[in-house]
Amino acid sequence: MPLETEATAEIRALVADLRPDHADMLEALHRVQHRYGYVSQEAMYVIAEQLKVTPAHVYGVTTYYSDFRTTPAPEVTVAWCSGPACRLKNGAGIRDAMQAVLGIELGEDTADGRVGLVAGQCNGSCEQAPQVWVGERVVGRLTAARAVTLARALRDGADPASV
Amino acid sequence: MSDAYDALRERADAAWAAWQRPERPRIAIAIETSSLAGGAGDTLRALEAEIGRRGAAVDVGRVHGYGLQWLQPLADITWPDGTRVLYGPVTAGDVGHLIDEATGLIGAAAGLAIGVLSGRRTGIPPIEDHPFLAAETMGRRLLARIGHTDPESLDHYLATGGYFAVDRMLSRHQDPASVRQLMIDANLTGRGGAWFPAGMKWNFLAGAPVEERYLICNADEGDPGGWVNRVLLEGDPHLIIEGMLTAAFATGSQHGFFYIRNEYPLAVQRMRQAIADATAAGLLGDDILGSGFSCTLEVIRGAGAYVCGEETGLISSVQDGRGMPRVKPPFPAAAGVFMKPSNVNNVETYANVPLILRNGAEWFRQAANPAGTDIGTKIFSFSGDIPRVGFMEVPFGVPLAKIVEVCGGVTGGGRLKAIQAGGPLAGYLPGSLLGELSLERAPFSKHSALMGGGGIVFIGEGSCSVDLNVMFSEFLEEESCGRCTTCHHGNQRMHEVFSRVAAGGGRTEDRHNLELVGSSLAYSNCVHGQASPTIMRNTLRLFEGEYEAHVAGHRCDALRCAGMTRFRVVDQSDPNLPAARDICPTGAIKGEPGAFEVDDAQCVRCGACTDLAPRGLVREAAPPGTATPEQRAPKPPGVPAAAGRVPLPFQTTVIARAEGGMGGPPPFRR
Repeated sequence: MPLETEATAEIRALVADLRPDHADMLEALHRVQHRYGYVSQEAMYVIAEQLKVTPAHVYGVTTYYSDFRTTPAPEVTVAWCSGPACRLKNGAGIRDAMQAVLGIELGEDTADGRVGLVAGQCNGSCEQAPQVWVGERVVGRLTAARAVTLARALRDGADPASV
Repeated sequence: MSDAYDALRERADAAWAAWQRPERPRIAIAIETSSLAGGAGDTLRALEAEIGRRGAAVDVGRVHGYGLQWLQPLADITWPDGTRVLYGPVTAGDVGHLIDEATGLIGAAAGLAIGVLSGRRTGIPPIEDHPFLAAETMGRRLLARIGHTDPESLDHYLATGGYFAVDRMLSRHQDPASVRQLMIDANLTGRGGAWFPAGMKWNFLAGAPVEERYLICNADEGDPGGWVNRVLLEGDPHLIIEGMLTAAFATGSQHGFFYIRNEYPLAVQRMRQAIADATAAGLLGDDILGSGFSCTLEVIRGAGAYVCGEETGLISSVQDGRGMPRVKPPFPAAAGVFMKPSNVNNVETYANVPLILRNGAEWFRQAANPAGTDIGTKIFSFSGDIPRVGFMEVPFGVPLAKIVEVCGGVTGGGRLKAIQAGGPLAGYLPGSLLGELSLERAPFSKHSALMGGGGIVFIGEGSCSVDLNVMFSEFLEEESCGRCTTCHHGNQRMHEVFSRVAAGGGRTEDRHNLELVGSSLAYSNCVHGQASPTIMRNTLRLFEGEYEAHVAGHRCDALRCAGMTRFRVVDQSDPNLPAARDICPTGAIKGEPGAFEVDDAQCVRCGACTDLAPRGLVREAAPPGTATPEQRAPKPPGVPAAAGRVPLPFQTTVIARAEGGMGGPPPFRR
C-alpha cells in the first residue's frame, strides 16, 4: 500500500460514504473519473480498501468497462458515433477522415495530449446522423469535409466550444 | 384512498391546473437527449435572454419532446385559455417569433407550427392528425404524458393519475398474489426483446425461500438504433418508479436498482431526482403512504458495456464486478444480486405495470396484433434512411410498410434495401420483404430474425450489406465479455473476415468459414454469443448476390467498401477542386488547376473531397486487380489475421445446445 499522500486523502474523502457489498463500485469509479478525468492506480488502491476488495479486482472492473480510462484524459475527447444511422450516412468516412487528420486510431490520444478519439455508442439522437460528440456537445449532420475541418481545428488548438 | 395520497393529490391538482391554464403564456422547450443534440440548450438560453431583454410577460417551461425528432428542437406555447400548440424546429434565431406568437401576435410563428396539443387554433390541425402519428391507432398509453407534462414534476405525474393505482393497492391491502395474477391475465411480456411473461417471473421471485429480495430495472438499452427506454426514463420517470413499486409489493422485495447506461446522463439525473422527490413525498422509503409497506430504489450508472443488458451480466455489474454474464441456472429468481433472489425486467415492462394495475387486464388486452399473440402497445424508434426520425407507440401488428409511409418513405425516394430491427443480435432483412413484415414477433422469426426491443433502422440503396456487417461484427467483437472462447474469438474472426472482404480480399472459403464460426458461436453461454451470427447468416442467405459480388466479382455496387472503390478526378473544370485538394486529410489530391489527380495509395476513401467537389470528383468502382487489399484494409481487429486458406479437413455439424445450459458451478461472488 502506497504511503498516504494529499491526493490519496482527497480520493478517500471522495468515496468515503461508499460501502462494501452495496453496489457502489461503479459509483466510486465514476466519481473518481469525473473528478480526475481517469482512474489512477492510486485511486484503485483507495477504492479497493473502501469497498473491501482486492486492488486487482478494482483494476479488473475498471478496465472491463470502456468508459473508464486508466491514463490522464486529453484536453478534449471526440466520440465518434459508431451507430447504424450514422454508418448509413458515411459514418465510416468521417471516422477515417478524423483518424487521418489526427494521426491516431479510435481509442488513442494525440501525442501532445490535446485530442482523444473514441468510439461512442448510439444514444438515439439519430436525426442528427452522422454525428460526433466534442466533449459533451453533439456536432451533428456532419460530412467528411466538415469532420476534417473540425479535427484540424481541434488539433491546432481551437476552443472545443467553437468548432 | 389513503389520507396521505389525498393530500399529495390536492397539491398536485392545483399545480396541474395552473400548468394547463397558466396566468401568463408559457413557452415550454423540449429538454431531453435528442432535443439537446439539436440545440435545445441554445434555444432555451436565447429564449430566456430575449424574454429578459423585452421584459415580456411570458414564462418558460420544460417538457419532453413529442416524438417528432426530426423537428427538434421542439417547443410549445400554452395560452391562458388552455390552448396549446407544438412548434419546431425552434432554433435560437426563432425565439423572437415564438415570443411574439405567445404574447398575442398570432401567426408570427405560423411557419413553425406542427399541431395543436390541446384546445383549438384555426389553421393548425390537431397533433393526432400529423401524418407521422397515423400509425398510433390506439392512442398513447405509455407515452400519454410525453410532450404534455414537465418530466421533472411529481405533481404533474400525480395529477394525471400517477400513483393512484399503487395507493389503491396499498391502502386496500390487496393480495400480492392477485397483483401477480393480474399481470399474467393481462399477458404482459418482457419488452426487452425476450417476451417472457412478467407475471410468471414475479411468481418465481415471490416463491423464493429467502426474505431479502431485489428488483432490477434493466435500463441498459444498448442496441444501437433503439431508444425506447430513454424516452420513458427521461420523459416519465415516475411511471417506471410506480411500476417498480408495484412489482416490489407483488414480489415482497424491499429494494430495487435502476441500471441505466452511461450514454443516458439525463436519464440518470432525472431518475435520481424522481426517486428523491417520491421519497420526500412518502411514495418510497419506509411505510409508504402509511401502508406499512417499505421499498427503496437507487440508480446505478453503467459504464459502457453492452453485455450488461443480459440479465446475469447486469447482476454481475451491480454487485461490484465486471459485467460478465454467467451460466444459468441458477436463475436470478433463485440467486441474483448478492446471491439473493432477484427479478430483472425491462424499463418498458415496468412502465406498463401501473397502467394495467389502474385499468385492468381487459383494457390492456384490447391492444393486440390480429393473431392475438402479442398483447399491448409498444414504443418503437425509427431511424436510418428516412426523413422522419422519431418514436411512436403502436399496437402490435402494424404493417411495416405503413411505418415506412408515415416516416416519409425512403430518403431521396429510392428503394428500401434492408430493414435492421432490434440491434446487432436481432436481424437484417431485405427491403423486398417489407410487404410481409409487421411490428409483431412472428413475421421476423419466420425469416430467422427477431423484432427485438423496439429499434428499427431503415436502410436505403446507398448502403452496402458487407460494410454493415463490418460494423456489426466489430460491435459484437468489442462488446463480447470475453468469457467464452466461441464468442470472443468467433466474433473476432467474423469481423476479420468481413473486414477483409470489404477491403477487396474476399476468398471463396470465407463463406464456409463464416458459417463454421456461426455454428460454434451457438455454444456460447449467453445470448450475446449465441445470437451474434444472426445478421451474418441473414446476409449470406438473403443478400447472397451482394456478398458474392464482393468475393467473386470484387465489386461493391453501393460503392462503400474501401477495397473495391477509388476516387478519381473526372471534371477538371470544377472550380471546387482546389478546395477538395485542401480538404483531403492525407494530401492525396495532387497537381494544379487543370491537372488534378488522386494518388490512390494515399487515399483513405473518406469522401471529404466529393463533399466539396461533387462534380469534379467521383467515387467509382476500382478496376479489378488494381486494388492492393492490405493497403486498403482497416487495421485488422485484435489478433493478427490467420492465414485461413487451408480447406478444413473435417466435416462440421451443428449440435443443438441442450435446453437450459450445462449447469456449471455456482455464480462467482467476490
